Amino acid sequence: MLRHRGLLVVLFSMLIVMAFSETSRAIPAFSRQYGTSCSTCHIDFPKLNDFGKAFKDAGFKFPKDDESFIKVPPVLLGAPANKELFPRSIWPGTIPGLPPVGLRYNHFFQVVSANRNNFNLQNTAGDPALNQFIPRTDFQTGLFSIFMAGNFGSDIAFWVDDDISVAGANSNGGLGDGYLKFVNIGRFLKLPTDALSLRFGQFELDLPFSQARTWNLSGWDIYDQPNIGSSSQNVNNAFALSNAAQGVEISGGHQYRGYHYSLAIVNQNTGGTPGSGASVPPIVSYISDSNFKDIYGRFSYRFNLERDPASRNEIQAAGTTGPRDHTYLSLGTLYFYGRSVQRFQGQDSTGTPVVLTAREPFYRVGGDFSFNYHALNVFGQFLYGRDQNLLPNIPQGLPLPTGTTVASPAHFSGGFLEADYVVYPWMMTIMRWDRVNSTADFLNGIGADQNTSTGPYLSPVSSVRNRITPGIQFLIHANIKTSFEYQIRPKQIVYLPGTNTVLTSPFRTNSAVAGLEFVY
Amino acid sequence: MARNFFVIGIVVLAMCLAASAGTISGKVSGVSGESVVYVDVIQGKTFPAPSEHPLIDQKGLMFTPHLTVVQVGTTVDFQNSDSVAHNVFWTSVGGNKKLTHNLGTWPKGEKRSFKFDNPGAVPLLCNVHPEMAGYIIVSPTPYFTTTDKSGAFKIENVPDGSYTVAAWHEGAKSQSKPVAVSGDTKADFTLSK
Repeated sequence: MLRHRGLLVVLFSMLIVMAFSETSRAIPAFSRQYGTSCSTCHIDFPKLNDFGKAFKDAGFKFPKDDESFIKVPPVLLGAPANKELFPRSIWPGTIPGLPPVGLRYNHFFQVVSANRNNFNLQNTAGDPALNQFIPRTDFQTGLFSIFMAGNFGSDIAFWVDDDISVAGANSNGGLGDGYLKFVNIGRFLKLPTDALSLRFGQFELDLPFSQARTWNLSGWDIYDQPNIGSSSQNVNNAFALSNAAQGVEISGGHQYRGYHYSLAIVNQNTGGTPGSGASVPPIVSYISDSNFKDIYGRFSYRFNLERDPASRNEIQAAGTTGPRDHTYLSLGTLYFYGRSVQRFQGQDSTGTPVVLTAREPFYRVGGDFSFNYHALNVFGQFLYGRDQNLLPNIPQGLPLPTGTTVASPAHFSGGFLEADYVVYPWMMTIMRWDRVNSTADFLNGIGADQNTSTGPYLSPVSSVRNRITPGIQFLIHANIKTSFEYQIRPKQIVYLPGTNTVLTSPFRTNSAVAGLEFVY
Repeated sequence: MARNFFVIGIVVLAMCLAASAGTISGKVSGVSGESVVYVDVIQGKTFPAPSEHPLIDQKGLMFTPHLTVVQVGTTVDFQNSDSVAHNVFWTSVGGNKKLTHNLGTWPKGEKRSFKFDNPGAVPLLCNVHPEMAGYIIVSPTPYFTTTDKSGAFKIENVPDGSYTVAAWHEGAKSQSKPVAVSGDTKADFTLSK
């Protein structure tokens, strides 16, 4: 119970932070390098259009004849003729002619409905220290991040971004993505073009719909869903698909047509708490909490549905009034496998205290689709998550467990369905439905201490949490936008502290959020 | 003998005609860079359109040349030399939005043509790359020129007479003034944004 409450505190804080602090993948440095507008690659930054997807697939450069488009020439780190001297020379490369820096800042304003006052009903003791106060309106500083990306020549691409300032718990920010990508290394193995690339570092998993490239103010609930078992379960998996991963990834294909795949081997840390140690001073902080490495795989196929075959195979479709994104249908699947670790005090057969380790395999599996027709994009994700549940086994007469026993697994499911419509190049409308089905979340919600700031705010009425989120966005300039989102939040209910006595009827604490952000 | 007199007569006539054609020269100030100066519509006079097709290319995400001046009735060729998709459209001709037109999309290496039958400034755009900009100035007469970078210009072979002469510069307000051409004639313009 105590463990669950602590995790719920973390979870609640993360939800607040994640609701308003998405990392960005719109990079004005490319605008500067190529002397072109954001809209060359983006539909309402940071969402990518077909050309932007091709630009990213090519290693952050124009897919064809890059040198004819770049306005700021790269700096040579060695003349190309050095290749002929190799191995008696360093292989030549380049760095961007300008520091490829982009910066992003956003700010939010939130209005919460009057139902927020229901949470004050729990404070029967009249103690202000126990009062959970949710203000009606709130200005919130969001995210200030710096990001850099580009190409070092020889098909080596790089990306580094850091959230310098983040609202909420993580006020100091931290590294977002930081990786090196070797694009099209399959050419050394005589594989088809773009069949194999290698990425190494810290990166967002190759999700079907990246939260970093969405234009929504709030994240997709299912991607932020951990799997914390109920009080009768020994499952405490803080992993969520939106977490940054550290490891190595191979990938191939394209995001703008045909097949695409990725396979990643990444650190596992399902407890959320990094370890530390010192093999060689100074003290090192470890990210992994076990020896096991998790695996993530994804495969998708995109069918471009243009009638004209020449147009179908191009990066963008040839519209009658100009190039546009293809009419397409994309289908995909993902799978993540890990082995969550929980260590607890036990004893051996002689009664000697030992550390027992419960290794609980878990997986996340999902299917996704995306359909695009001119200015309308409809897409969705279904996800199922399952964690094996190993309960400590305390033999009769002994004070501590001596092992574990398999119990019913903890699982959840859900997804989202969204429709984005570009009314004008500067105005976009959004309608979205998020759904999460988690019995454990429901049980944890009513089991938590009602006097904390987290429990009642997360007390859903049922195992299924539905959220409807309409929104609209306006581009003031290509690099400045204002966004509005109304969240029809899942039904909740409040109980008398420590009892199951209901204090309210089911209600929704809906909220309206406005965001203003700019990149440069 | 008669043939000699005929030839002499032709030569004298040509010399007389040349003697009655003047130049308009001057300077466009108040702005920097190239401007366009042209003789506006001459009532009752039309001029055959040239047969040559000027070429405007899209290369390196830019319209090349950025500024093109043509006589009304000229057909302009638009070429895509980039390995990315482009299109060409304009929102108006001479401020007349009814004359908006979109040429669509065509692949690298191919051209599309359009005949400009209405005078005025044509702002060229690409709907994929909004930073791309170019201009076509469609002159109603064959008497036009672009200035040099200092703003100096000279229009030659303008028959003596009274005309309205106009000056245009990107982003500035155009200016027109009456000019009486008699031999070498001076006409200066001061434009402002």
